[in-house]
Amino acid sequence: MLLQLRGIYKWVNTGINRTFLLKDINLDIDEGEFVSVMGPSGSGKSTLLNVIGMLDDFDEGTYHFMGEAVQQLKEKQRTALYKQYIGFVFQAYHLIDELTVYENIETPLLYKGIKASERKALVADMLDRFQIVGKKDLFPTQLSGGQQQLVGIARALIGNPKLLLADEPTGNLNSKQGEEIMELFKQLNQEGVTIIQVTHSEKNAEYGSRIIHLLDGHVERKGQ
Amino acid sequence: MIRNYFKTAWRNLWRNKVFAAINIIGLALGTGVSLVIILFVKYERSFDDFHTRNLYRLNEVQKQEGLTASQKVPISMFPMGPTMQQEFPEIVNFTRVRRAEKYQATYGEKRMDLPRAFFVDSAFLEMFDFKLLGGNRQRALQQPQSAVITASAARKLFGSENPVGKRIMHYGGDTASLMVTGVLQDIPRNSHMQFDLLISFATDYKQRMMHNWGGNGWVTYFQLAPHTDMPALERKFPGYLKKYLAMEDQWKNYELFLLPVKDIHARTGDIVLDMVNDRKFDKKYTDLFFVIALVILVIACINFMNLSTARSAERAREVGIRKTAGARRFQLGLQFIAESVLLCLLALLIAAGGVAALLPKINLLIDRSLSLQLFNGNTWLALLSGALLMGIVSGLYPAFYLSSFAPVKVLKGSVQTGRNKSVLRNVLVVIQFASAVFLIVTTIFAVRQLHYMQGRDPGFSRERVLTIRLNGVTYKNYDILKEELLRNSNITGVTGAQDQLGGHLDQSGVGFTAPDAPVRMISATRLIVDYDYLDLYKIPLVAGTGFSPDPSRRGREYIINETLARELLKELPHATMNDLLGNKFGFDSLGRIVGIARDFNFNSLHHKIETLFLFNQKDFGFSTLSVKLNGRQAGAVLSFIKSVWAKYCPDQTLEYQFLDDHFAEVYRSDKQVSTIIGILAMLAIVISCLGLFGLASYAAERRTKEIGIRKVLGASAQGVAALLSAGFLKYVLTAILIACPLAWISMRKWLEGYAYRINLGWWVFLLAALLAIGIALVTIGFQVLRAARANPVKALRSE
Repeated sequence: MLLQLRGIYKWVNTGINRTFLLKDINLDIDEGEFVSVMGPSGSGKSTLLNVIGMLDDFDEGTYHFMGEAVQQLKEKQRTALYKQYIGFVFQAYHLIDELTVYENIETPLLYKGIKASERKALVADMLDRFQIVGKKDLFPTQLSGGQQQLVGIARALIGNPKLLLADEPTGNLNSKQGEEIMELFKQLNQEGVTIIQVTHSEKNAEYGSRIIHLLDGHVERKGQ
Repeated sequence: MIRNYFKTAWRNLWRNKVFAAINIIGLALGTGVSLVIILFVKYERSFDDFHTRNLYRLNEVQKQEGLTASQKVPISMFPMGPTMQQEFPEIVNFTRVRRAEKYQATYGEKRMDLPRAFFVDSAFLEMFDFKLLGGNRQRALQQPQSAVITASAARKLFGSENPVGKRIMHYGGDTASLMVTGVLQDIPRNSHMQFDLLISFATDYKQRMMHNWGGNGWVTYFQLAPHTDMPALERKFPGYLKKYLAMEDQWKNYELFLLPVKDIHARTGDIVLDMVNDRKFDKKYTDLFFVIALVILVIACINFMNLSTARSAERAREVGIRKTAGARRFQLGLQFIAESVLLCLLALLIAAGGVAALLPKINLLIDRSLSLQLFNGNTWLALLSGALLMGIVSGLYPAFYLSSFAPVKVLKGSVQTGRNKSVLRNVLVVIQFASAVFLIVTTIFAVRQLHYMQGRDPGFSRERVLTIRLNGVTYKNYDILKEELLRNSNITGVTGAQDQLGGHLDQSGVGFTAPDAPVRMISATRLIVDYDYLDLYKIPLVAGTGFSPDPSRRGREYIINETLARELLKELPHATMNDLLGNKFGFDSLGRIVGIARDFNFNSLHHKIETLFLFNQKDFGFSTLSVKLNGRQAGAVLSFIKSVWAKYCPDQTLEYQFLDDHFAEVYRSDKQVSTIIGILAMLAIVISCLGLFGLASYAAERRTKEIGIRKVLGASAQGVAALLSAGFLKYVLTAILIACPLAWISMRKWLEGYAYRINLGWWVFLLAALLAIGIALVTIGFQVLRAARANPVKALRSE
C-alpha cells in the first residue's frame, strides 16, 4: 500500500456557510497503479491531487503515505517526504523562465543536496532518455508546449520518485503531443512508477488502470 | 477623457494605498528637501544683495615675520581709506568700520545695552543702502558725537518719541554723549554687517592716527566707479604700498586685494580675523547641500519610475482590456503620464505643506530665517512646472513600457518581464544605495571630526571656568572683584585677560634681541594677562618660570609659547630653549623672556597653533575675568558672584558664560553642517529604502511562480528567502564597492581643511557598509519572508 486516505474533508468558510472542497474521501492506492481522476470543473480534482502531494492541508481525516501519518508530520518532515518520493507535472509546465532546460531539470537535485558530478550524470541520463540533449541550453520560452512538458516530466522524474502526480498534463497540448505524453506515462508506469493523473479527457483516462470520478468534492462510485 | 484618466488614476492610488503612499512619501520627501535647500541657497545668495552701488572690501595678505604662515585678513590700516582714495581715481568713496565696545545708552531713566556699535566714516550711509527712516543720509554722520540708531533699538530706548535730535549718554567710557541724527530701518538679517548703532568716525578721530601705518584694526570699504577694471586697479596696489610703507621695508609684509561686498558672506572661508561678518558661511557647504539635495531628488524620481514600472504586471490586464476596447497606444501613454503628474502634484503639495510646518524648527537648527515668502509668484510657477515636468519625465518610461503590451498576450496572463528590462532598474538601485552609503560615511566622519575638535585636549583646562566680560568701566574694579570673589571657598582662582580663549586674538609686532645681535621685529599673537593666568588655566611651562606676583616686575616679564620659541631659535642655530630665557623681548627695552609655555590651542581647532606671547600688564585693562570653580554648590557660587558684581558694578549688567559653552558656540557652524548632512543622509536612506521596499515587494510578486515551483520541488522557506535576499544584496554590495572609494577620496579632501583631524578609519567604511546591508535586509525582509512562506499551491493555481 503506497497511500491511504480515510475520511478526508477540506473546506473553506465563506461567511456563515462552509463550502466543502473535499468531502469524506476514502482512497487506497497501491504501488504500481496508474490512477486517473476525472470530474467536472470545480469538483475538487486538483485539490485532491494537492492534498496527496502534501502541497495543501486538509481539515479532517487521516492520510498515510508509506506508513507515515501525514497529518502528524511537521512541515519540514513533510517537505522531506515529498521531496524524496513524489514528482509533480503541471498543466502549465511551470518551468522557471530564467533557467535553461538543463538547469530546470537539475533544480530538484540541488534541493536534495546531490553532488555536482552525480547531478551531471543524472541530468545527462534524463536528457538522453527524453531525447532533448540538443535543447539543453535553451530557455523554456524557446520550446514548443510539448517540449516544455517533456522537460517538466523529466524534472519530475529526475529525483526517481515512487509517485508521479500530474495535473492535466496534456491540457495545454495538441492531441498528438498529448498522445506522446500519455504513451510516456504508460511506459513509466510499466517501469514501476505509480501515477495519479487528473484529466478531463476520457481517452487519456483510459490509459490508467483505475478511474476515480469526483463530483462536488466526493468520490462517485462507478466504473471498476 | 482627461476626467476619466484622473478618475482611474485616483482609484488606482486608492486601491494600492501602500504603493501609492510609498511613491508619494518618497517623492514628497525628495521635493521637501529640495525646497528647503533651494530656500537656503536663495537665502545665502541674497546676502548683501540690497546694496546698489559697486562696493568692495579691502583685504590684506599679511606675511610678517613670526607668523607661522601668511594670512588673509579683512582688516586694514587707518590711513589706507583716505590715502587710497587720493591715489586711485577709481575709488569714489570709502568708509572705515571699527567695532566699538558695547555701548550702554542712557536716556532719561532708561538704560539699555547696544552691544553692536560701529564707528563709521560719514560716507557709510551714502555707500550702503540701509534704509534710513529719519535724518539725512549725507550729513547724519559728519559731526563728532553724532549717531544713527536702528528702529527697534530706538523704540526700546525712546518709546514712541521721535529719536532724531535726542541726546543719549554713554554710561562711562570716552564717548560721553551722542546726538541721534538718524534712524535706520532694522538691519536685514541677510546683511554681513549687523549693528544697533552707528557712531560718526569723527567722534573718535585723532589726527595722529593718520600716521599709524602698520596697525591693522579697521575694516575699509570702497565704492568704485562703475565698470572699474579690477585687475588693473589691483595691479597698482604694490606700488601704493611701496610708497606709503617704505619705513623698514614694511611693504614687503603686505599684499592688498579687493573683495566684492556680495562675496563677503560666502566666499571668505580662507580669511581670518573676520570680525564684521555675521553668520559667515562658506559657499562650499551651500554647494555641497545643493548637490546632496539634487541627489536626493534624483533618487526620489528614480524610485518613482521604478515603482511605476514595477507595478506594470498588475496594470497589464487593464491595458489589455482598454486596448481591446479600442484605446490607442498614445492614449494609454497619456493616461499613465496623467497618473504620475497627479502623484507629483500631490507630492509637491505635501512637501510645501510639510516645509511650511517645519520651517521654524529648521530655522532654529541652521540659524537662518528662511520663509516660503522668499518664493515669489514666478518661483512657485517654476516649482509647479518643475513638478509637472517631473511627473511627465517619470511617467514617460512607464507609459511607454506599459502601453506597449499586446492585449492578447496580457489577457492570457503571459506578460514577459524579461531579464534585460530590469537592467536599468538595477542600475538605479545601485546608484541609490551608493549615494546612501556615501552619505552615511560622510555623516560619520563629520560627526566624529566635530567630537574630536570639541573633545581634544586644547592644552589648557577649560572645565568649570566661568568668564565674565569687563568693559571700559568695570575693568577698573578688577582688583576688588578678584579679591572679593576669592573669599568664597568654592572659587579656586580668579584671573584676568585682555581676551577670551577660543577665537582670534590680536596680533602685534614686538622686538626680540639675542645677545650680540640686532633687534629682530616679529609679529605674533598677543595675550595680556594677570600674573596667575597660567595657573588657573593649568598651562605648564617647558622652561623658565611663570610671572611673578611682584607688581614692580609687571610689564617687564614675557612668556612665549613653544611655537614662538622655535621661530626665534630658527635664527640662533646653536641655542636651546633655555638660552632664550632672559633675552630682551617685548614692546620696550625693559622686557625679558622669563618662561616658555607649552603650546596650547588658544583658537579653535580649525587653526594651527600660532606664535604667541603672554604679557603681564594689568594696567592695559582686561576685558575678561575668569573664575575657576571647584564644582561644589554651583548655584550658590553663581548667586555669590552676582551679589559681588552687584555690589561693585551696580549699574552694569553681568555678562558671563562658562568657557565650555563658549567653545560649543565656536564649533556651532561645524555642528550645523554635520547635523544637516546627517539629516540629509537619513532622508536619502529613507527614500532609498522606500524604493527598495517597493522593488522587493514587486520582485516577490513577480517571482511568485518561481518561488512556488522551487518550493514544490523541495526548497525550504529559508532557502527561498536567502535566494531572494541574495538578489538584492548583490546590488547593495556593488553600491558599497562604488561608494567607499569615492567617499574615501572626498573625505580625505574634506579633512584636509582642518588643522587637527581624525584619521580615515577603515572601520567607518565597514560600519557604513554593514549599516547599509542591515537596513537593506530589514527593508526587504518582510516581503521576502512573506513570499518565502507563502503556500506554493496558491502561486501555481493561476491557470
